[in-house]
Amino acid sequence: MTRLVELAPALGLSLEAGPPGELRAVCAGASFTDLAARIAVGAHLSDLFAGVNPEGAVLTAVFSAPGDPDWLLLSTLLTGDRFLSLTPRVHAASWFEREIAEMYGLVPEHHPAPVRLRLHDWPEDLPPMRCRLAPGERAPRGERPEVVPEVRGQGIFQLPLGPVRSGPQESAEFLFTSGGEDLVAVWPRLGYKLRLVERLAEGRPVEAALALAERLAGTSTLSNGLAFVQAVERAAGVEVPPEARLARTLLNELERLHHHFGAVGRVADATGLSVAAAQYAMLKEEVLRVCAALTGHRYSRGVLAPGGLATPLAAEGVAELARRLPGWGRRAERLGGLLEDTATFMDRLEGTAVLEPEYAAHHHLVGPIGRSTGVDRDVRRDHPYAAYGEMEFQVPGDDQGDAEARVRVLLAEIGQSLGIVRQALDRAPAISPAPPIAALGPGSALGWAEAPGGETLHFVELDAEGRVRRWRARPPACVNWHPYAHACASGNNLTDYPVIEASFALSHAELDR
Amino acid sequence: MSRWIVRGLRTGVRTTIFPAGEDPEAGRAPSAVELDPGGLTPPTALAVAQACPTEALVAEGNLKNGRLRFDLGQCILCGRCTRLAPEAFRPVHDPRVAVRTRDRLSRRVTWSEGGRPVEEAVELAADRLRERSWRVFGRSLHIRHLDAGSCNGCESELQLLSSPHYDLARLGLFFTPTPRHADALLVTGVVTRNLEPALRETYEAIPEPKLVVAAGVCAIGGGCFTGGIMTHGPLDRLLPVDVYVPGCPPTPLALLHGLLLAVGKAEERRSAAPVGERARPRAAGAAGAVRRGE
Repeated sequence: MTRLVELAPALGLSLEAGPPGELRAVCAGASFTDLAARIAVGAHLSDLFAGVNPEGAVLTAVFSAPGDPDWLLLSTLLTGDRFLSLTPRVHAASWFEREIAEMYGLVPEHHPAPVRLRLHDWPEDLPPMRCRLAPGERAPRGERPEVVPEVRGQGIFQLPLGPVRSGPQESAEFLFTSGGEDLVAVWPRLGYKLRLVERLAEGRPVEAALALAERLAGTSTLSNGLAFVQAVERAAGVEVPPEARLARTLLNELERLHHHFGAVGRVADATGLSVAAAQYAMLKEEVLRVCAALTGHRYSRGVLAPGGLATPLAAEGVAELARRLPGWGRRAERLGGLLEDTATFMDRLEGTAVLEPEYAAHHHLVGPIGRSTGVDRDVRRDHPYAAYGEMEFQVPGDDQGDAEARVRVLLAEIGQSLGIVRQALDRAPAISPAPPIAALGPGSALGWAEAPGGETLHFVELDAEGRVRRWRARPPACVNWHPYAHACASGNNLTDYPVIEASFALSHAELDR
Repeated sequence: MSRWIVRGLRTGVRTTIFPAGEDPEAGRAPSAVELDPGGLTPPTALAVAQACPTEALVAEGNLKNGRLRFDLGQCILCGRCTRLAPEAFRPVHDPRVAVRTRDRLSRRVTWSEGGRPVEEAVELAADRLRERSWRVFGRSLHIRHLDAGSCNGCESELQLLSSPHYDLARLGLFFTPTPRHADALLVTGVVTRNLEPALRETYEAIPEPKLVVAAGVCAIGGGCFTGGIMTHGPLDRLLPVDVYVPGCPPTPLALLHGLLLAVGKAEERRSAAPVGERARPRAAGAAGAVRRGE
């Protein structure tokens, strides 16, 4: 496999200096789509986003290749409001382009399905990321275009679920098409929770924007905050002391633990296994309590700061973690084993909502969902950040692509995370607060972290005063929601739906933002 | 299956003693931040307002004459003020932080002629819940939760309320799937444009008498999402709110207290309340000082 650093010059691109690990190239608007498609032959299209400069709109595509530690950022300045769609050649671009179209009013020509992704009744002529509405000003409510696929057949009916759900969970709407027993199609209607977080950050100081990054999604608070803060540090050329990197690694894994305990517990709950659900909820609560003891916040909010950590990890929290860790390991192993021995549980998962490896490969999936269907990607290993370069761990994988494979990957990742926490503890992450950073100058950089749901990428551009000029957040749900409808339509029953939804454990807050 | 039953029985009872007593294990994360005006100086008041990433701390004026407004309904518990001015801002570990009117969450201090800041009088609004008869609910509550655009942090905590550690059913509190069976609407998240119609319809579908609980700073004041073009901000501009539970997200114990407060099984934590009837004489003097300063 050609490395990106060699591939780019071979395609006639001259590389510009960027932060370490970040290759940057600029091309003409006319050749952007062709070049991006040629790079994507051997690489993942990790992100594709727009921005606005005084000269016009800018498109940036982010690539990463297997076994290659570099990221490649290809950008172009558009001369008008149209560009040639990449989707016919790289399917993973589809949702990125739909988002660019609705948010920036840029038209991806020849896009096979150029419909809105997250906007509902927002007026056509006011692209939200470019329009000049004053804070708090309301845009008039327009039409909500309905883009529901038509399914015909004897006895076929449609059944909406949501946006107000049955229990305390996120608002989301799904339109089921069913013939009675079988689930023919599921159509997620997205964007209910759209807060337009990225626009809110524009013009805010880094600290205030970091608070927003931490609130993209509750159960990936630390990962999104970490990716954001690392982008800021890379843009400003700030070094992070090793102890702070170790502490960040520890917190990142604790977040994965409480997320995965919660996710497995919800799958157990969906199959009616209430004891298992309660046992996993208890584990999740215990991890959250240890996070509170370490950082003063159950979800570790407010602990990150550019250059390190805002507060040192509390010594009693470190001691408590060391005390509880072996017990978590024993219980997680015993519960995982019990789940695998429970036929009523495994039967519900086997063959449910299958994502074939070929399909997953075209969508450039990330995280446990991708890894359960043959996509061997994990930025902790492939693009090491914080202290992951010094940690020993495996990246569990599977290629079955069904709910069972997804749960197996989650269970295996719990074991790996516990191991990383143990290694971080052995190096005693006793740290002091981050030294204050004198000035964050102008600059831009990509930051990344492996969130519980998969890699999260944050591109941050700072202005001369160190305020955020542009922030692009691409949390894992932006990628992993894409194949959801396909997996649901793989011959499942209506009653499988709670299991399907729980096994994907996808965040709405991350996608809607 | 029998192995699961054995597993469950061997775990024993893990449920918190709250609200019958304190639970330091569960109450380790702060539920709120408390302001002690006695520990505040004009320079620290201006510095914390500068550092606050939301509108929880807003200062006007200068070192000589000024005023600081502290609004727990906008506080995301980032910890900046407690680190910058530990003598004036302290984390509150007591989970009883929910209140029945919005103004009980905010406090004001003023200083003049470079003197020490003193607390300003606030006329507290009438307590909606006290006027209405919550006894109609029989001290039990069926709750319809609605995520109006949260980060999912609040839902993560709400889901834990049903876990063995908190077990809200033992307190006569239940989540219900349908608004028709609900006594209370529990709203989390800043109200987004796309969820506002669903919020209104859900509220209307709940039969009278009904309560509204705003959980988390997004629903109370907007938090860091204040001023967005896709968000509506404070819930009480759209619906009448009976109980406010601050926090980002509110801790499970704070949520339990808020729900118990709604149903008349708990009281507000007196020491956390801003200047009310009790402290009015001293506060009236403070207001006078501002007038002189102007």
